Amino acid sequence: MKKRIISVENLSKTYGEGESAVHAIKEATFEIYAGETVALLGPSGSGKTTLITMIGCITEPSSGKLTLDSELMYDQKWQISDTRRIRREKIGFIFQAHNLIPFLNVLENVTIVPLMNGVKKAQADQKAQELLDYLGVEDKLTKMPSQLSGGQSQRVAIARSLANNPKIILADEPTAALDGERALSVMQLLRKLAQEQEVAIIIVTHDERMLPLFDRILRVEDGIVKEA
Amino acid sequence: MINLAQRDIAHSLGKFITTALGVGMLIGVVLVMIGIYRGMVHDAMIVPNSIAPDLWVVQKDTLGPFAESSRLHEDLKYSLKGFASVKEVHPLTFQSLQIPKGDKPIRVYALGYEALSKFTPFTLVQGRPINIRTQEIIVDTKTGFILGDKISLGRNTYTVVGLTHKAVSSGGDPMVYLDLHEAQELQFLFSNEQIRNDRARGAQSVATATVNAFALTLSPGFDPKTVAQEIHRWKHQEVYTQKEQSDILTKNLIERSAKQIGMFTMILLIVSSVIISLIIYTMTMGKIKEIAILKLIGASNFLITKMIAQQSVLMGIIAFIGGAIFANASANHFPKTVILIPTDELKLFVVVMVISILASLGGIRSALRIDPASAIGG
Repeated sequence: MKKRIISVENLSKTYGEGESAVHAIKEATFEIYAGETVALLGPSGSGKTTLITMIGCITEPSSGKLTLDSELMYDQKWQISDTRRIRREKIGFIFQAHNLIPFLNVLENVTIVPLMNGVKKAQADQKAQELLDYLGVEDKLTKMPSQLSGGQSQRVAIARSLANNPKIILADEPTAALDGERALSVMQLLRKLAQEQEVAIIIVTHDERMLPLFDRILRVEDGIVKEA
Repeated sequence: MINLAQRDIAHSLGKFITTALGVGMLIGVVLVMIGIYRGMVHDAMIVPNSIAPDLWVVQKDTLGPFAESSRLHEDLKYSLKGFASVKEVHPLTFQSLQIPKGDKPIRVYALGYEALSKFTPFTLVQGRPINIRTQEIIVDTKTGFILGDKISLGRNTYTVVGLTHKAVSSGGDPMVYLDLHEAQELQFLFSNEQIRNDRARGAQSVATATVNAFALTLSPGFDPKTVAQEIHRWKHQEVYTQKEQSDILTKNLIERSAKQIGMFTMILLIVSSVIISLIIYTMTMGKIKEIAILKLIGASNFLITKMIAQQSVLMGIIAFIGGAIFANASANHFPKTVILIPTDELKLFVVVMVISILASLGGIRSALRIDPASAIGG
C-alpha cells in the first residue's frame, strides 16, 4: 500500500468578496501517493497555479483541508506557524528553465536548501554532488547558471528540488523551455525519481505529448479539478 | 550558510565597486568639507599663535586686530611699558596686500613688527630674519618667491631675505613680514599727490605712527586677566587675553563660514544617504525574481534581510574607503588648508554605517513584500 503524501479535501480559493469575488479553485478533492507522477492540465487562468501554490503552502486557501505527508497544514486556517519550514523540509520546486539563482554557482544552487535546513556544508556538498552526478551534470559544479544550456539548467533545478529529500515535488512547466528530445528526457527523469525515491510529483504542463508518462492526470477548468 | 550578499556582489563586482566609489566621491567631499573647516580654524590661529602674547591691546570697543579694524597710536607702547606687570610690548600692524608676481598679483597678509627687536613672530625655513629696517621682506613659500627675489611694494622694492612655510592668515592668504616702519608707511602713508591735496584743503594727513595692536608679554607671576582689567581701566583700550583672542577668531570670524560648511556637509550626507537608498532599492528590485525563488524554497526573512543589509553596509564601507583615499589624496591640492584628522574620519565612518543601515530599510521592506508565488509561472 503506497503512502498518501498529498491529501486535498474540499480545498477552495476565492479572491475578493461579494459580487466581485473570483473562485479560483472550487472545492478540490484528490489524493496523491508516494511515487506517483501527476499531470495538472488546464487552460491559462483555469486555476492551476493557484492550486499548486496552495499545495506548496505559499497561498493560503479560503476553505477546506490540506494534509502533506500526514501533517495537517490547513483546516479552515493554517495549522502550522512557519510555512517556509514546510517548503524547506518537505517540498521541492522546479520552475521553467533559467530560474536558478544567477549569482550562485551550480553546487551552491543545489546546497542552499539543505544548508538553510541546518545540514553541515560537507554533508550538503556530498549530497549535491551525488545528485548532480546522477543527473549527468557533475562536471558543472563551479559553473554559473549563465554558463549552462537550458537542459543543464533544468537538471540542476531538479537536483536542487531533491537536495532536501522532499516528499513532494511541484513542477511548473519544467519542459516549457526545452526542445522535444530534452523535454522527454527531463520527464523520464522525473518519473524515474518519483518511483525510485518515493516522491509525489505534480507537474503543471501544456504538453499533451508527455501525458503517457504520467500515472494520473488532473484537469482544472474554471477552478474545478477533475480526474481525467 | 552561503553568504548571499558576498556571492551577489562577486557576480557583479565591477558594477558594485564603481557604484560604491561614486558614492565614495560624495563621502570624500564631506571629509574635505570637514577638513576645510579644520583648516580654517588652524589657519586662523597661525598668526596669533606665532605671536603668542599674554595680552592683546587693541582700539577701544573693537574686536581687533583680526576680526575688526583697530588703530592705536604707536607711542602708547611707552605707557604700556610703564606697567610693572608688562615685560615686553610689541607694536604690530596687519594688512592685506596685493603683491605683483609675473603678470598677476598675489594676495598676501602683511605683518609689520619691530624687526630689529629680538621678537620674531614667525618660524623661518630658509634665509634669515630682517637685519636692516628698510627694503627687506620675509615671505611664505606659498607666494612662490625665493630668496633674493625683488618685490615692488608701495614706494619701495624689497628683497626676500627669509622664507616661512605654511604661514597663512585666517583667510588663507600667505603671510609676509616687514619692518614696522615700512609696514606703517604702506598702510598709512598717502601718496604725495594726496598729501598735497590734503594740505591745500587744510586737512591733516593721517600720522604714520599708528599701529593696529600691541602684543604684550607679562612678567612672571602676573595674572593676564587682572593686568588686562588694569590696562583697560587706565588706558581706555580693549585688552584681550590670548584665549579671548582665540575665541574671537573662532566664534566671530569663522563661525558663519563654519555654519556654511556644516550646512553643506549635512546636505551632502543627506544626498549620500538618498543615493545609497536608491542604489540599494534598485539593486533589490533588480533581484525580485531571485528573492521570490529564495522565499519559495524556504529562505527566512532574516536571510533575505541580512543579504540586503550586508550589501548596503559593504557599499558604505567601500564608499568610505574610496572617499577617504580621495580626500587624503586631494587635500594638499586645495588652495586653502585642508586638515584631515583620524577622529573626524572615524566619526564620519560611524555616520556612513548608520546611513547605510537606514538606507537598506527601503530595499528590505520591498524585498519582504515580494510574493514567493511570483517565482512560479515563468
